[in-house]
Amino acid sequence: MGWGMAEQSNAGGPASSNEGLFRRLLRAAEIDTRMLGMLAALLLIWVGFDVMSAILRPGGGGLFGGSFLTSRNLWILLVQTSVIAVMTTGMVLVIVLRQIDLSVGSMLSVVAVATGVLQVFELGPTLGVGHPAIWIIAVIFAIALGAAIGMFNGVLIAYGQIPSFIVTLGGLIAFSGAAFLIASGVTVAPMDKTFKLIGGNGPLASIGPMWSWVLAAVACVGIGIATLSGRRRRLKFSFAPKPVWADVLTVVVGCAAVLGTTAVVNSYLWPARVAERFAVENNIPIPAGVENRAGLAICTAGDKVVTCLDGLSFQTGYPIPVLIMLAVGLVMTFVARRTRFGRYIFATGGNPEAAELAGVNTKRLTVMVFTLMGALVGISAIIASARLDAATTALGTLNELYVIAAAVIGGTSLAGGIGTIYGAIVGALLMQSLQSGMALLNVDSAYTNIVVGIVLVLAVFVDQAYRRRVK
Amino acid sequence: MKFKILTLLAGALLMSATSTAVMAAGKTIAVSWKTFQEERWKTDEAAIKAVVEAAGDTFISTDAQGSAQKQAADIESLISQKPDVILVVAFDSDAILPSIQKISDAGIKSIAYDVQFEDPNALYITFDNVGVGRIMAQEMLKVKPEGRYAFIKGDKGDPNATFLFQGQMEVLKGAMDSGKVTNVCETFTDGWKPDNAQKNMEQCLTSTNNGVDAVLSENDGMASGVVAALDAQGLAGTVPVTGQDGDLAAINRVALGTQLVSIWKNSIDLGTVAAKAALALADGADPTTIEGVAKFSGGKNGVEMNAILLAPTPITKDNIQVAIDAGHITKEQACAGVAAGTVPACN
Repeated sequence: MGWGMAEQSNAGGPASSNEGLFRRLLRAAEIDTRMLGMLAALLLIWVGFDVMSAILRPGGGGLFGGSFLTSRNLWILLVQTSVIAVMTTGMVLVIVLRQIDLSVGSMLSVVAVATGVLQVFELGPTLGVGHPAIWIIAVIFAIALGAAIGMFNGVLIAYGQIPSFIVTLGGLIAFSGAAFLIASGVTVAPMDKTFKLIGGNGPLASIGPMWSWVLAAVACVGIGIATLSGRRRRLKFSFAPKPVWADVLTVVVGCAAVLGTTAVVNSYLWPARVAERFAVENNIPIPAGVENRAGLAICTAGDKVVTCLDGLSFQTGYPIPVLIMLAVGLVMTFVARRTRFGRYIFATGGNPEAAELAGVNTKRLTVMVFTLMGALVGISAIIASARLDAATTALGTLNELYVIAAAVIGGTSLAGGIGTIYGAIVGALLMQSLQSGMALLNVDSAYTNIVVGIVLVLAVFVDQAYRRRVK
Repeated sequence: MKFKILTLLAGALLMSATSTAVMAAGKTIAVSWKTFQEERWKTDEAAIKAVVEAAGDTFISTDAQGSAQKQAADIESLISQKPDVILVVAFDSDAILPSIQKISDAGIKSIAYDVQFEDPNALYITFDNVGVGRIMAQEMLKVKPEGRYAFIKGDKGDPNATFLFQGQMEVLKGAMDSGKVTNVCETFTDGWKPDNAQKNMEQCLTSTNNGVDAVLSENDGMASGVVAALDAQGLAGTVPVTGQDGDLAAINRVALGTQLVSIWKNSIDLGTVAAKAALALADGADPTTIEGVAKFSGGKNGVEMNAILLAPTPITKDNIQVAIDAGHITKEQACAGVAAGTVPACN
């Protein structure tokens, strides 16, 4: 998938002589074996859910006859993951810096409710409901408000010298109160029509098959260029380049993943009712086999709606929040790996004293990282409220736990200094897969909570064991 | 630490405020709220306060901020202010019992307001929660006498979620036994959260391949998530959804046709009835003589209590006017985006 693009491992270093062939190959190609393990676990979970749902309710049309490995479910799964995934990319940097942010959930509530109030109660009446500027103002406002709150946290932590655990624990309690007061507890709805598209709720909020393929092609070329420039850079600084076959493999596998994902999201066809409404509104003739009642085209074929709308099937393509998630993942990976800011974060997290002595302004760095975290919470708040088409105080509650858990499952070490953006996104996807899969099987949420908790602890256990072996 | 100081400060403020009031004679009615994080309790407080102050008596209150420990401390501080009656909205209906005992020991009357705790000496005042579930199912059966039903239940830790489901099942039992109504999905929703309800509904629709004809959502917040999930499949408006609380956005959905009914528990009614009962108890009235009191033993442990169970109002397309007339919602809020001529109250 898309986030494999900047793949580079932290498993480099001298090869020991007693390794097996496979391991040597992995090491030569500098593939993050930890990541490989996670992807394998993810795949196992997916197949498991599909098989189990096939047993429980056959005929779901999935790869193994269930309803989990269907384009529809995978499409929704990606959308469901995006809110947590966007925030978790920031949480990685916060944790790498040996800090924590417990306030992200409450912060999301504040930003979502404030943005909702702004667009529904303020901008709606003054500019007129549906004015094209509303969503732009709302988006900028949400990100700016998130960044401001994050900066406030950061200043208290860096310059007030209060532990981040305390500052953000205070924030967790206080911000949810603020969220309540802003709208005096009422649910703010509905959101602006254009703003709503950012939530990816339904096929209309996606970019369609053509642009999805264009994007996939661009991504493929991007992977090629990135691999090539990585190779050049190594030669320039007289580092040993990866073997050619490894670079070719990276491009081929990366490209295949991108194209495969694109094929999946494109093969999710518009739900019949949505297609029908679209056809009616845009005067597209609906093929025969459709009854016409009271001037409205109503498809009454029940489960056979798709055949009844044959010739009127629309492919969906990438949902907007998933594109946002992928873009955030790319930018954050770039920031973490290729910028001085990113390297300072990892240096400070690895050894704060040494970094400070080396001239890193750790206080300013802390403020910047928390500001970035806040801005990302702003983006998540936009997606969450747009998706629900409403802003409520309950939005975001307990999200801090899922965000931290996703980062940790993704291999971020709470001791600081270690963590990857793509790992955290896969961590978020893994956790959402568990939750969605169990909901699909109609499992009581109590059991889901138990499983997610066990997986969190198990992931860290396996990770520790793995790291000890690598050492 | 921060909390303790805040509590002490709040306590001190309350003490100074009430000491003057107590000197002005009359009775004192106290309320221990479990949390002010929900819109509705403000309405309750305003209603109780209005009745108490109109009678020339004193109203005091504390907010437990969603913590059973803080609520225990709150009640101790209320007892020390010697009110005549304490209304308690219990955060945890078991953990509260020792505090209720302390209230009785101090010779103060207690009222279980909206949330039950099983103390035989207390008066329990609430809306008939099992009744709310019954009304939801009845309204749904009117439009979908047969079909595949999905049940989006509230938080598993809240007894109300189960009461509501029991009520729904009582009404649906016949139709389910005869096979007319089938249960295709049934999930609890962590924290009654709308976004969790949305995800659960999405998974329900995926697993049944959109084979859902009716959704019994236990409140309006979750109904907003359910409607969003249905909307993504183009089913909003064709699959009826229930809810309760009379949320402003939900009443608007009822008018728009994407939600079938919102069972409205008029908090003003509940607050007014409770305040009147509290004043009567403060006068020394026998609880059984208060209007509307009957025996209730439908709680977890079956303890028999004196209770007033109020009947809620189902708000559908046809009677939105009721909520507008009560000042609960404006016509503009209720009718936003509604096509002319579809809803009587919006014309």
